[in-house]
Amino acid sequence: MRRLLADRLVIATGVIVVVLALVFAFVRVASSQA
Amino acid sequence: MQYRDLVRKAVWSAIYLLFILAPLFALLAGNLPPARNFGTEFSVALGYSGLAMMGLQFGLTARFRHVTEPWGEDVIYHFHRRVSLLAVSLVVLHPLILIAIRSEALALPDSIWDIPWGARFAVLSIASLIVLVVTALWRKQLKIRYELWHLSHIVLALTAIAAGMLHMVGWGFYLVDPLKRALWIGMTIFWIGLLLYVRLFKPLFMLRRPYRVAEVCAERGDTTTLVMRPEGHAGFRFKPGQFGWLTLWASPFRITGHPFSFSSSAEAADGRVEMTIRNLGDFTSAVKAVKVGQRVYLDGPYGAFTIGNPTDMHVLIAGGIGITPMMSMIRTLADRGDTRPLVLLYGSKDLESLTFREELDTLKARLDLKIVYVLSQAPDGWTGETGRITAEVFKRHLPPAYADHEYFICGPDVMMDAIETALGEMKVPLARYHSERYSFV
Repeated sequence: MRRLLADRLVIATGVIVVVLALVFAFVRVASSQA
Repeated sequence: MQYRDLVRKAVWSAIYLLFILAPLFALLAGNLPPARNFGTEFSVALGYSGLAMMGLQFGLTARFRHVTEPWGEDVIYHFHRRVSLLAVSLVVLHPLILIAIRSEALALPDSIWDIPWGARFAVLSIASLIVLVVTALWRKQLKIRYELWHLSHIVLALTAIAAGMLHMVGWGFYLVDPLKRALWIGMTIFWIGLLLYVRLFKPLFMLRRPYRVAEVCAERGDTTTLVMRPEGHAGFRFKPGQFGWLTLWASPFRITGHPFSFSSSAEAADGRVEMTIRNLGDFTSAVKAVKVGQRVYLDGPYGAFTIGNPTDMHVLIAGGIGITPMMSMIRTLADRGDTRPLVLLYGSKDLESLTFREELDTLKARLDLKIVYVLSQAPDGWTGETGRITAEVFKRHLPPAYADHEYFICGPDVMMDAIETALGEMKVPLARYHSERYSFV
């Protein structure tokens, strides 16, 4: 069960990192076009 | 206590994410080169975050007590293994996306000698990461000796991170800016510093605080207890249920120490500690050959697995040599004159392999302790429990307010998985479980 919590934390970390990588790319491209 | 642990978990999770993402978003500050297309920028962001995640892997295994305490060392190591897959996926996705969008950055020159150094380091970094993950996931199948694997694991991780950093610096672009370059080089030095902390600083500390083996006691079930006393220092205090890293036959600088629970009472005098080690056919088979007077090194205490609320019934569930932390709890509570109700469910192969059986039966007189032995190979005439520890065994021996008790579980992974499932079916809340997996390295 405790390891399940760790697994969920890994998934949450992955989701947050990928979303923020998308935000990074969006900000870069948008600010370059502005 | 639970609220405090929850806050500590949230704070450390936030710090972890900050260390991954803050250096990435710092790249957006100041003067920027013209942006490339969305796919390229996204893939670059994944590469940077993946490398930061790999670097922080050194922090997860650096044995920082404040970091590991709210989770337990076994959970941290589990996270370390799982998140490495995520980090490697992000790093590998970086070139894959560039290939998919046919980025000009991947255009091959006419001659192999014209390939820029930045690209060569990228290949070296990714290749090291892939070998690192394959050897970590399939070490046993590949028949790699643990000590050799551990050394190669560190070398591969250092190569992957150093080559990743050289790739970023060599490629330029964001890191052309001297401040950003300094930040990322500083981050790399910090990650390597985490490794040096556990491999250099801690061993130096241990070298100055050695222990001496005072007794070597043979126990039931091909098991040996090492009684160790601090030499020239006061030792450390531990909580019953915690563990330490033991280095035998070598200096503390040796790459591989082994984690063992303390089996002695936390109230033992003069800093004396005991570890009880079963012969599992690996290096543990040589423990019985340890001589009295031998110098050993201990790094500890670690672990969040320890006794809980004094008003709750404590249900201690041990499988095989998983009895050792329970023994420390029982001995400590006896020494403290503690009267909380205790139930020990102790699963083992047969009567002969029930380590500490006689002492446990004696300790019942000093505690409110009920012991239930569960034998998988019971002798003729045995009237006790047989088979495995299941929900049915719980129901036969525990008072029915199951969710009110605190459960402490230590044993082989298969047993722990089965018990955790059984407790879930009995509607025992997760906050009432305490467990430690001794096969976490």
